[in-house]
Amino acid sequence: MKKITLKLFRYNPETDKKPHYDTFKMEVEPTDRVLDLMEKVKGYEDGTLSFRRSCAHGVCGSCSMRINGENMLACKTLVQDLGTNKITVEPMLGLTVLKDMIVDMKPFFIHYESVMPFFVNDEPDPAQERLQSIEDRERFDDTTKCIMCGACTTSCPSFWANEEYVGPAAIVNAHRFIFDSRDKAAAERLQILNDQFGVYRCRTIFNCTVACPRDIQITKAIGEVKKAIATGNLD
Amino acid sequence: MALNRKVSLFTGLKYKGGGPMWAWIMHRLSGLAMVFFVGGHIIAGFLTQQFGSEVGIAINTIYENWIFQLALFFLVIFHAVNGLRVVILDLWPALLEYQREAIWLQWLTFIPIYGLVLVVVLKDALGG
Repeated sequence: MKKITLKLFRYNPETDKKPHYDTFKMEVEPTDRVLDLMEKVKGYEDGTLSFRRSCAHGVCGSCSMRINGENMLACKTLVQDLGTNKITVEPMLGLTVLKDMIVDMKPFFIHYESVMPFFVNDEPDPAQERLQSIEDRERFDDTTKCIMCGACTTSCPSFWANEEYVGPAAIVNAHRFIFDSRDKAAAERLQILNDQFGVYRCRTIFNCTVACPRDIQITKAIGEVKKAIATGNLD
Repeated sequence: MALNRKVSLFTGLKYKGGGPMWAWIMHRLSGLAMVFFVGGHIIAGFLTQQFGSEVGIAINTIYENWIFQLALFFLVIFHAVNGLRVVILDLWPALLEYQREAIWLQWLTFIPIYGLVLVVVLKDALGG
């Protein structure tokens, strides 16, 4: 067992004018996840603590938050991985805080919708499935891994500065379809992203790539989209 | 009521983005500093040439100070090398996968160039 101090960002819109921090001292296993610690606080210390969680296995992307100053999934972060006895948990930056760790994800999803994150192909359906070579599938494999947790977009200084920037997550999801050989709307998506609030707001800062809990090479995906816009070539 | 989304400069700087984030911040600051260097240099030249002004001479004295020269060379060379890294990564997105190595390579390029500056400036300042 290990003694730790858990410092949690607290904000209740009904009673607080300003946010504050609550501190909890507890004994935990080094292999406990940050999400376990928060569940412990919610279950035994303060039931009003609010945070999003669902699968608790790094798949749903609900529990992304700022842990010791860096965006991570609370369910994938072990106490021993943080290498310290002091753990601070705060909500993600750049989105409105509704309560404690819960942020308003609406702007994030509006940007996601704006890049047409769905398969477009108006050609008549083939008799069987639409075939694709292994190489063609490999081309966008990395960006299929996105779980929409928002860790990348809310770690991006360009997004902090301007909410209208489409953000890394939306570009990753556009990349997933732009480079899909079966999809026919790449040109349309590239046009959407060739905007003053599109891909060129990316300043190659790499916070998104570091923050991604699925290890997606986000800056690389954005770079490929930038290049496709500049050259008009998807190769 | 909900809390405003605004991220203050202090909160932003506290985010642990690591080396690449600091390289970006330094790039911005050194770019801004260069505007002042060039602007100051032009103003100093203008004041000295046109009016033989004491202010122009004072600015030039600061410019020629070896400590100022070291700071100036640091910021200019950093800005150039970091800019080159970003340009190369932008032109060849496949290399973006090796961004950590690119940061190391950037410092490996910067150190000998700045080392040369250190030798030349310090030799002149302390030896002369």
